[in-house]
Amino acid sequence: MALLLAIIFIQVNVVLAQAPTRHAVTGKVTSSDGQGLPGVSIIIKGTTNGVASDVEGNYSIEAANTDVLVVSYIGFVTQEITVGNRTQLNIGLKEDAKVLNEVVVTGYGEIKRSDLTSAQTTIGATQIEKTVNTTVEQAIQGRAAGVYVTQNTGQPGGGVSVNIRGINSINGSNEPLYVIDGVQIQPGNVAYGSTSSSNPLAGLNPADIESMEILQGPSATALYGSRGTNGVVLITTKRGTAGDIKINYGYTYSLQDKPQQVDVMSLQQFAIMTNEMRALTNATPNLDFQDPSVLGEGTNWQEALFKRAPLQKHQLSLSGGGEKAQVYLSGEYFDQAGIAIGSNFKRYSFRLNVDNQARKWLKLSTNLAVNQTMENLAATQENVILTALQMSPGIAVVNPNGTWGGADETNGASLQYTPINPIALANIVQNDLLRRGVIGGLNADVTLLKGLSFRTSVSGNANFGNSNYFTPSYQIGGRNNPTANLAAGNSSSTYWNWNQLLQYNTALGKHAINAMASHESQSGRYQDITGQRQGFLSNDFPVLAAGNTQGQTNNSSLSDWALESYLGRVIYTFNEKYVLQGAVRTDGSSNFGPENRWGVFPSLSAAWNISQEPFMKAVPLINDFKLRFETGLTGNQGSGGIYAPMTTIPTTWGSGFVVGRYGNPGLQWEETNTNNIGFNLSLLENRIQLEGDFYIKKTNNLLMGLPLPDYLGATGNGSIEEPTVNIGSLQNKGYALSLNTINMDRGGFNWSTNFNVSGFRPKVTEFYSASAIVERQAGFMDFFTQRAVVGQAPWLFYGYVEEGIFQNLAEIEASALPTVNDVELPIQSIGADGAIVDGVWVGDTKYKDINEDGVIDERDQTFIGNPWPKATFGLTNNFSYKGFDLMILLTGSYGNDVFNYVRFANSDPNNINLGRNMMQETFNYARVGGDAANPVLLNPGYDVPRLSATNVNGNFQRITSKYVEDGSYLRLKNVQIGYNIPKTLLARQGVIQGARLTFGVQNLYTFTKYTGFDPEVGAYVGREAQVSSQTIGADYGRYPLTPMYTFSIGVDF
Amino acid sequence: MIKMNYKKYIAGLMLLGLFTSCKEDFLDRPPLSQITDVEYYKTTDQVLMATAPLYSGVWFGYNDKAAVGIGDGRGGTFFSPSYEMEHVRLASSPTQESVSGAWQSFFNIVGQSNAVINNVTQYAAPEVPDNIKQHAIGEARFFRGLAYSYLVQTYGAVPLLENNREAFTDTALAPNTVESIWEFVIRDIRYASKVLPETPVQRARLTKYSAQAMLSRMFLTRAGVGSTGTRNQSDLDSAAYYAKSVIDANAFNLLPNYEDLFLTRNNGNEETVAALQWVYNGGATYWGSQNTQQAYMAFSSNITGFGDGWGGDHGATMDILQAYETGDKRRKATYMFPGDTYSYITEVANGVRGPLQVKTDNNGADAYKTRANIKKYVVGRPEDNEGRVVQMGTDIQTYLMRYAEVLLIYAEAIMGNSASTSDDRALKAFNEVRLRAGVPAKTSITWEDIYHERRVELAMEGQSWYDIVRLHYYNPTLALQKLSQQDRGTYQITPNTKVNATSWTITSVTPQYYSVTESSFFVPLPAAELSRAPNLRKMPVPYQFQ
Repeated sequence: MALLLAIIFIQVNVVLAQAPTRHAVTGKVTSSDGQGLPGVSIIIKGTTNGVASDVEGNYSIEAANTDVLVVSYIGFVTQEITVGNRTQLNIGLKEDAKVLNEVVVTGYGEIKRSDLTSAQTTIGATQIEKTVNTTVEQAIQGRAAGVYVTQNTGQPGGGVSVNIRGINSINGSNEPLYVIDGVQIQPGNVAYGSTSSSNPLAGLNPADIESMEILQGPSATALYGSRGTNGVVLITTKRGTAGDIKINYGYTYSLQDKPQQVDVMSLQQFAIMTNEMRALTNATPNLDFQDPSVLGEGTNWQEALFKRAPLQKHQLSLSGGGEKAQVYLSGEYFDQAGIAIGSNFKRYSFRLNVDNQARKWLKLSTNLAVNQTMENLAATQENVILTALQMSPGIAVVNPNGTWGGADETNGASLQYTPINPIALANIVQNDLLRRGVIGGLNADVTLLKGLSFRTSVSGNANFGNSNYFTPSYQIGGRNNPTANLAAGNSSSTYWNWNQLLQYNTALGKHAINAMASHESQSGRYQDITGQRQGFLSNDFPVLAAGNTQGQTNNSSLSDWALESYLGRVIYTFNEKYVLQGAVRTDGSSNFGPENRWGVFPSLSAAWNISQEPFMKAVPLINDFKLRFETGLTGNQGSGGIYAPMTTIPTTWGSGFVVGRYGNPGLQWEETNTNNIGFNLSLLENRIQLEGDFYIKKTNNLLMGLPLPDYLGATGNGSIEEPTVNIGSLQNKGYALSLNTINMDRGGFNWSTNFNVSGFRPKVTEFYSASAIVERQAGFMDFFTQRAVVGQAPWLFYGYVEEGIFQNLAEIEASALPTVNDVELPIQSIGADGAIVDGVWVGDTKYKDINEDGVIDERDQTFIGNPWPKATFGLTNNFSYKGFDLMILLTGSYGNDVFNYVRFANSDPNNINLGRNMMQETFNYARVGGDAANPVLLNPGYDVPRLSATNVNGNFQRITSKYVEDGSYLRLKNVQIGYNIPKTLLARQGVIQGARLTFGVQNLYTFTKYTGFDPEVGAYVGREAQVSSQTIGADYGRYPLTPMYTFSIGVDF
Repeated sequence: MIKMNYKKYIAGLMLLGLFTSCKEDFLDRPPLSQITDVEYYKTTDQVLMATAPLYSGVWFGYNDKAAVGIGDGRGGTFFSPSYEMEHVRLASSPTQESVSGAWQSFFNIVGQSNAVINNVTQYAAPEVPDNIKQHAIGEARFFRGLAYSYLVQTYGAVPLLENNREAFTDTALAPNTVESIWEFVIRDIRYASKVLPETPVQRARLTKYSAQAMLSRMFLTRAGVGSTGTRNQSDLDSAAYYAKSVIDANAFNLLPNYEDLFLTRNNGNEETVAALQWVYNGGATYWGSQNTQQAYMAFSSNITGFGDGWGGDHGATMDILQAYETGDKRRKATYMFPGDTYSYITEVANGVRGPLQVKTDNNGADAYKTRANIKKYVVGRPEDNEGRVVQMGTDIQTYLMRYAEVLLIYAEAIMGNSASTSDDRALKAFNEVRLRAGVPAKTSITWEDIYHERRVELAMEGQSWYDIVRLHYYNPTLALQKLSQQDRGTYQITPNTKVNATSWTITSVTPQYYSVTESSFFVPLPAAELSRAPNLRKMPVPYQFQ
């Protein structure tokens, strides 16, 4: 290395000593219609010396006769012009439908799009701006093939799942690595607690984004080594360009609509059922329900919960600068109220990006953003959507005397089991999360000699969170909470990254080489401190200091990690026809012991620009045809597990310590090998562009907590957490296709279409431990289980197959019945003493005897649903005519199943005993008549089980296929009409230079068979969320997405 | 030239980055907020605090709901039409939270005990005195043995584990026979009785006599294992031997006033043989280090001071109420009757503060109450307990064993297989328990007398079901008959006066009897557990003791 340094110094001196004489060159850059083009980049080839054209398109640059000017502008064909002895040089740029020579950002550098050998998708600012996005990931949905985006909650600012090319890890995070101007953020796994539904990327203003590059292929992602397995989203924020200062103001107002209600039972039906149940259990009859026929519909809890809610955004930006320094400055205020009470999201953000060509050989640039978000998480954390459906219609939201309604002794509800009035809770409980973040970096680019540049960057990210969870004292119906409780917490996380990168470009005849070498170290640290007090004299003053010191508690946690990496890449191009790329990265991670610490992640890729071959030149139909092949290795460092930490448990004698987790010092990297074949095809003067990729990914050494049965002591309070192990292998095959067409471009009318479709098939191929039965199980969802077994996709729904209900005695006698302690249940009968002997009866659920052993037990469970879609797609149509434009975006998912837990939990007729309301369909529960010898089903044709005091058959105690629904949907995601006010109208005044009005509707309509609020269910992120039980595709009262009517105006000054 | 030097300098500085920070300790990051097992166990205090959590957090899954549901609901001393009702109806379900809660909890006790035993052996520093290491292992084996005694009585045959880590990938693992498990239990607790000190190292920690007392319970129970009709005499003799050793040592004494056993200020009292020790506000740091019993059992938030107090629907069964003799002081300490006053519990109703007076449900001339709500482990508001109460948290100790039970075991072991006994030693022990309760002494006792005395003495302490299991080992017919004759129906309690009542009329509203068959006598294994551990269905095998 010292030698290299010495060589560089010598070279630097040589270069400086031979500086040739230069003269001024001026001119104007115009487009084909003669208009001056502002902000066009004019660079002397092989250097970073350059200028940008001004607002009229004029430029001026110092150049030598031998210099070649590279004139480039996004959307136009780049030109190279040798200066010669000219001092006046006007340049006409040709527009390019497909910007082949466009330089794209990729991992650790920028390369020409034509040299790309890896699958990579770009989403530009114009696309991002077309949808109303609270957070950045929402902008990706439907825009990129191979990317499966689900909003885990419709809660404003809430968490989003982004799966690039399916899933690679069965229990680690499957979220991609986000690189925001060099700052690497990988959203981790969900965390248990009061802020689990929040989104780690919520601080970023989507309007500040210039482009998002989604790296999917292994040769691009392998450069991120241990963090690249799930794909990489490179986010580049907007920067200033030379020229006049541009000021833009945008305002958006949206009205978010309420969801369509699901049908629940009326008060009359509720009363009838209550009476029947109380008769069955010898309970005291309810006096108010003596004559159900006089009762009406009762309270509509959904009406009370959901409201139309506004969303507003103000955005002001300024950009521009001179030849030496450019600036982008922006500020945002974003305020989204939630459609469900107890949710909203506010963001203030500010960004300053500055570029400075300090010296000819030195460019300094910085980017800095500060943001603050404020969220109310009460709706999701208090489960209000699930509980609103369970509220008795006999309870008023607010009583006539102004107090909150709630369960009491008279209204047919159960003091203990009827949920507490969710409207009251959402109103009075404060669950606020305030986050402040700073993200930024400083880069220095040094041109060392022709083609060789050195770049170093220091970037960092700091986030400070402040959460307050205050439950006031209250009296809601018969439920009294005399003591208020406040849990407050402060957390801080910091991250830094220091990167040094050498880049070398050279061309020798037909050969071109682009080489890069880099070293990077990064480290992160997380710290939090929480405190809790109870007993506040006033509910209006929820600060810890006001609470009672008696009973107060506090806690803290602290963790850190570090990663050190060396990486390099060489791209060799021959005659612009053949491109070969090789790259390698080596990572050392603190998550592994010394023997397994370093992982090596190589990749290799090749592209063949067939259209450059002489024989293809004869086919005028084809403008561009490229075949790509790539292979590479990426890794996953997991979240630690080599140590066996002790957990502190408070005891009467002081802090006690128990083993908290089994350590595994032999833990190894999780590695994913990907093979990818792709092509790019452009036809008919680039009017039809087709891009396709097909891949096979094999992940070995899957990192996961060793699944242990409970008897090994790894579940519940006081358990020792299972060790993290390398558990097996996963395979994922998939494809991604996207088609861009210009359907019409005539007479000022333009119609273009983007269609993208992709699918993936994950399959567990091996578990290293023969005994491994790998499950995710949610105790809070009646033990809803998702299982992974060899040969199948991970996390299939696991349960019983329901075959309706028993219609008559003969059917019971002929069927397999459930067992208790391995003895088959009896059929209900009358005992010798005349009392009923409980057993299976007409109207009980009939389960399928899968293993045909004549009884129903846990061995009769099977796979009853698959949460992964067969395909997801997006279809965008853009129309423009004169000042008007119209965009229609459809998104969809096909072939995935949803377990409708909301319906499962709310169609058990026995819930009437708990004073809970149910789905409308439940009222058709089996009514059994006749006598003991000959029971008759009085209302055949329905499949809801009977009311049963003992429920020995376990109706609704088993997860069954009946609640697995088709989750396919087609959503009219966005329709937007825009109008650019003609310049002629604006010309009379000098202030406003351009204005645009848009009107749009988001989530306008969803075509689906799903019976819940919204089929886009995603992963569970509510209060009980933790990795071992996080469900995918199970609807636990997810906060729905609803139609949103948006008006916005953008003005350029 | 100045310019050039400057440039050199910058370039050099930046490239320097390529050489630095490659030190290996940059990547060495042990946990910052937790100590690792290898570094722990270095001092006497550390070793002592490694077993302290065995007295609380690991038991939480059982204590939270199952102790009442299984221990009393199945045993016929607890009634609720909604809470843990499957147990009350003797139809315990494999998907019930308390069924898996108890299962997990007992095995977590086993797992943590094994970790202590293995880690103290492996990592304890030479400076830690040998008796302290032995103390830790003794405590761990006491709790492991006790956990297995609950497991075998609740679920039957289960796997015996001495090293969890070795069993992680052992697909051949099968349950062990009931006989093996009892042998394992006795070996563990006998070991504890040999290494634990005569006086506790800290208040309320286990001693040699705690272990001997528990050993007497284990021998009394095992005496019936594998027998028919009569019990194994040598086990009965061992039970008597250990009970006598404890009695003779004067290690424990009955508290003069039964009701005082359930005051937080009496935690660690002289009657405590073994008890779980909780931290009232520990739940905020580690959920499960507090006692949640009051939250579920107190009949109203008026007497807890917080939003909990969900026990309005919970109370005694008709059967246990009929069992109390007139004047038995234990009734008021166990179940609340209308007209009872508890001077040490504050009630705040409609803004009015005063000592708890249990009211009738209605206000007519013949006012009655339909539940005798639960009193044991209900301790009241923070102001009644020096502030040591929070929502879902008290620090009232949970008795694993009281000296009164040792006295009853002694009497039963002496009586053995006889129909009755007038042995002085048996009578003295037996009557000591009765006299404290304010009921007259007996001059001759039968098995029924002892069974009855245990029911009323230990009601709502999670023991009544295990008394039935003990009987079931050697006389299943009688055990099933006992269960089917318990009235678990509804009733009304009418006091003679509404405040400070002295007598009550209890009338049955709807009697309800549940029968249990041999097949459903044991609590089913949790469904999810069976489904992920099919090896639990293997035939039980004898354990190979080392």
